[in-house]
Amino acid sequence: MRTEPNRALQEARPQVIAALAAHLRDIDRAEDAFADACAAYLETHAAPRSLEAWLIAVGKRKAIDAIRKENAETRAIEAEAAVHPKESDMGEVIAFPDPIPDERLRLIFICCHPAIALEARAALALKVICGLPVVEIARVFVTSEQAMFQRITRAKAKIHDAGIAFELPQPKHWGERLEAVLLTLELAYTVTYQDAAFARPGIDSAQVSDDVERLSRMLAELCPKEPEVLGLAALVILAKSRDKARVDTNGVMVPLSEQDTGKWDVNRIESARDLLHNAARYEQPGPHQVMALIQLTHARRIYDELVDWDAIVELYDALALMRPSAIVALNRAVAIGQRDGAAAGLLEFEKLPSKKLATVRTYHTANADLQRRLGRQSAAIAAYRRALDLDPAPAEKRFLELRCAQQQPG
Amino acid sequence: MQYMLLINESEDAYTGEDGARVIEDVLAGHMKMIEKLSASGNHWSGNRLREANTATTLRYENGGQGVVHDGPFAETHEELGGYYIIEADDLDSAIEWARMIPIPGNGAIEIRPVWPDED
Repeated sequence: MRTEPNRALQEARPQVIAALAAHLRDIDRAEDAFADACAAYLETHAAPRSLEAWLIAVGKRKAIDAIRKENAETRAIEAEAAVHPKESDMGEVIAFPDPIPDERLRLIFICCHPAIALEARAALALKVICGLPVVEIARVFVTSEQAMFQRITRAKAKIHDAGIAFELPQPKHWGERLEAVLLTLELAYTVTYQDAAFARPGIDSAQVSDDVERLSRMLAELCPKEPEVLGLAALVILAKSRDKARVDTNGVMVPLSEQDTGKWDVNRIESARDLLHNAARYEQPGPHQVMALIQLTHARRIYDELVDWDAIVELYDALALMRPSAIVALNRAVAIGQRDGAAAGLLEFEKLPSKKLATVRTYHTANADLQRRLGRQSAAIAAYRRALDLDPAPAEKRFLELRCAQQQPG
Repeated sequence: MQYMLLINESEDAYTGEDGARVIEDVLAGHMKMIEKLSASGNHWSGNRLREANTATTLRYENGGQGVVHDGPFAETHEELGGYYIIEADDLDSAIEWARMIPIPGNGAIEIRPVWPDED
């Protein structure tokens, strides 16, 4: 069966690219070989039992062809020997290793190596593993396609020149390396979440967030015993579950607490809950699990019709111990404002480091919301205006303008 | 591959009140590292460098002859205090060796691949 060949190729990509990169020890060559193999697949009428295995075998052959072309004829045999030390018959496309070894984790560790700049890591993983177009990556990172292309090229050069290994690191080194992978995915999640929540007209942001979700699920599948990995996947999936509820039909952002739960994706919520349930069995709490639990507590509104703010404040308390930051303190103050009322929230809010948060939009929107609930309309208007000055995306801008217009200056 | 491990450390650590003890500790750390390097068959080399105030830097701007400047190139609070050139299969192995270098107080180890002969 060859239904939707392009989609099948897209789905096969991570495994095939990873196998080719592990084999060729070169990401550029692996990407070229994958593209060539896909072109070959679209031209033939072959219906292989395993598309992945077919693409890997054809990709390897295409890579050898490319190396042959690059090298002088006399050096071609050397090149072949160097790239394929163990394979005797390169013409053989039918004999696939079965099952094909899964090299995806290796490739994730390479693309997310801590020696590569954080932003470049996220871009590299999305580009190489998911095949996301550079123009899309550039858009979510708010930079030009050319600049993003250069960043990715530099990151690839660093992998090659600095000698980042193509081997999977030994488990004793997983701590730091896995931490780097988690940070990478968290950054990718943050930028796409901002992007998706504040969709700009005429742009489909789903592609990027689909791929971030795909990478996170992939990592959870590959590291099922790493509770923080499961936590991160749950966090990403929960954010994704609210895709359809974030912006209303007029293009106005809908805050989480006012979203129509009928538009939430209950399947995603349940799969995130299962992931967190599995993670909890290891009894190794971590910031990603806590962040996901906060989101899951919000998601429970789909069942309970109300939000357990006691639980959310407690979770922020825990998060503040694990990963103290002004943003966590801000979110905690907002949660207290929901649990104990706007006056209590404002008391907490006033303890926040105002200088540090002055350029953070959510700091001003949180202030505006507390002032609004306390009926202090002038203060609310001032805070909404400060938030509007910090360049919100269109959907949020409309939301803030509406809220601001509802206030009567006193 | 060969990697150069550049030891950027604060010279003040050696001149303070218990500077002598710090020097002793750091030397012991280096001896330990050298023993491990040698025992592993690593063809390494390395040296301690004189203090940063003995350094001279040739600075180039848009090519040209280069202008001689007094002092080290580093624009940080640390000074280049020494280096190792070691063999390592990959960056992570090089980082693992670099972590064995003792650094008193603040500092940094820069890890740079040595340009391979064949390239």
